[in-house]
Amino acid sequence: MQMSNSSLPISIFERIVSLVAWLALFFLLFPVVLTAVVSLNASFFIEFPPKDFSFRWYWNIANIEAIGSATLISVSIALAAAVLCTALAIGASLAITRYQFPGKAFLTAFLLSPITMPMVAVGIALIQFFIMIGAAFTWYSLLIGHMVLVVAYPIRTLLASLTLMNPSLEEAALSLGATKFRSFWTVTLPQLKPGLISGFLFAFLISFDNYPISVFLVRGGLTTMPIEIFNYISQNFDPTPAAFSTLYVIVVTIIISLAERRYRIVSYSIQ
Amino acid sequence: MDIGNPALRGLSNNTSWWSRNAGAFFLLAPLLIFLLIFYVVPFVHMIQESFRFSYIDTQTGDGLTLHQYIKTWSSSRIGRVMERTFRMSLLTVGITLLLSYPIALLLLKLKPRLRTIILLVIFISLASSLIVRNYGWVVVLADKGALNALILALGISDTPVRLMYSEIAIVIGLVHFSIPFMVLPIYGSLLRQPASLGEASQSLGGNAWQTFTKITLPLSLPGVFGGTVLTFALSMSAYVTPLMLGSPSSSMISQVAAEQLLTQLNFPFGAAIIVTLTVLTFIVVAAYATVLRRVFRADV
Repeated sequence: MQMSNSSLPISIFERIVSLVAWLALFFLLFPVVLTAVVSLNASFFIEFPPKDFSFRWYWNIANIEAIGSATLISVSIALAAAVLCTALAIGASLAITRYQFPGKAFLTAFLLSPITMPMVAVGIALIQFFIMIGAAFTWYSLLIGHMVLVVAYPIRTLLASLTLMNPSLEEAALSLGATKFRSFWTVTLPQLKPGLISGFLFAFLISFDNYPISVFLVRGGLTTMPIEIFNYISQNFDPTPAAFSTLYVIVVTIIISLAERRYRIVSYSIQ
Repeated sequence: MDIGNPALRGLSNNTSWWSRNAGAFFLLAPLLIFLLIFYVVPFVHMIQESFRFSYIDTQTGDGLTLHQYIKTWSSSRIGRVMERTFRMSLLTVGITLLLSYPIALLLLKLKPRLRTIILLVIFISLASSLIVRNYGWVVVLADKGALNALILALGISDTPVRLMYSEIAIVIGLVHFSIPFMVLPIYGSLLRQPASLGEASQSLGGNAWQTFTKITLPLSLPGVFGGTVLTFALSMSAYVTPLMLGSPSSSMISQVAAEQLLTQLNFPFGAAIIVTLTVLTFIVVAAYATVLRRVFRADV
């Protein structure tokens, strides 16, 4: 049987593309699913195939050294960094989208540059600086390090929402007699919500997860959750980190799904 | 007063420029002051430090010196690590691109509901802890891990194969980390292409492959550029992934720089290594952008 000349390459190319795409998605999910399987295995080691079912490793998360205080520090730093950076980013992204001034492209590139800077470079530069000014190894210096790390994310998402925004609504509010502040508060800000939420969320999650900057800025009792998890993984071989990982992914899945359901953050992050 | 006085004319120009831009200034000032103090000053200080002698050097002096850079370039260990970091980063970018472009094309074809679900999976992957994701590969690649269980069960080998602590394990981890950073900008650039272009190509007799190579791919180059640059920069400076999935014999450059600081307390040498890495990465990215602009006439 002879296939038509033009339909043959079409189907082959498109089939290969789809096949590779599904394999890549499988690759993305594979380790996460296997970690969940391991976390429910009673065995003391990572072992396949799993034998007995148990929740013991979930209870053992509490035995990771300093996990409680480290998590508390991580949450407080991530929350403070996300709030402060989102606030700083609102002003900066409004200035960039609403005003014309020389050097704007350069300024934008500079504000977004921490994303591509090697994290170890940021860590090294900051710890030298904090030692020099005598403020090293404090909660505040850790917070500042994390702010430098995450500030570009809310700038990026807010720039995206501001460019997509409809300026005529704001003009309408002003022409109907609203003050500048009132029109910003009741018209502009609600439209910025998806950009604000996704910027805040990414700032929070990236700070919460950071290891390479924190490792330079912490010492003694000042420690973060990723650092304690990392230390546990390098000293123990039991599946407690698998239980922790599974919980982490479940929590992140819930947060992102809720944010998408309410604010459509996914569609706003793709431009 | 002479209005023609150039100094005064400059002043009056300044005032009108100022009144037009004062709003922008006050909106930007808090962030700029913050970044100036805690980002620019520390970096300038670090670069300065990299031109000084450290306490372990036989020579001493308060003046500026190229000693740390000469040491960086003449050390055969750092040369090897730098070459390995570059090679693994290129490999990571290549594999990530080959896996991510098809995902972006697939997203374009899917029904909205399935598309949202896959985008959510990519976002959750992006937001899940790097340590958590690397640990997932420990579970898969460990001696008693999933892949070895499969290898033993299929009789490919009688004893577990050492998959962990190798360059391959690190590249797998880096690719896994990079896929979301590559998919999103490429998908974005595909969304911006008018569907009518592809339809026109098909109606003129172009097949899927021709439409892809002549229309879709060239128009998506800005997205490809964004994704590959981010992936390359993230891989070149990778620290946690080689720490968790590699061994001392597969270490990457960030580890060597961090080790100078954390264990040797040698700030100047560590600073010189990380400054070298940053400058090299920047040069490669700039050269890459030039090639895309000149050779492929891409708008990047």
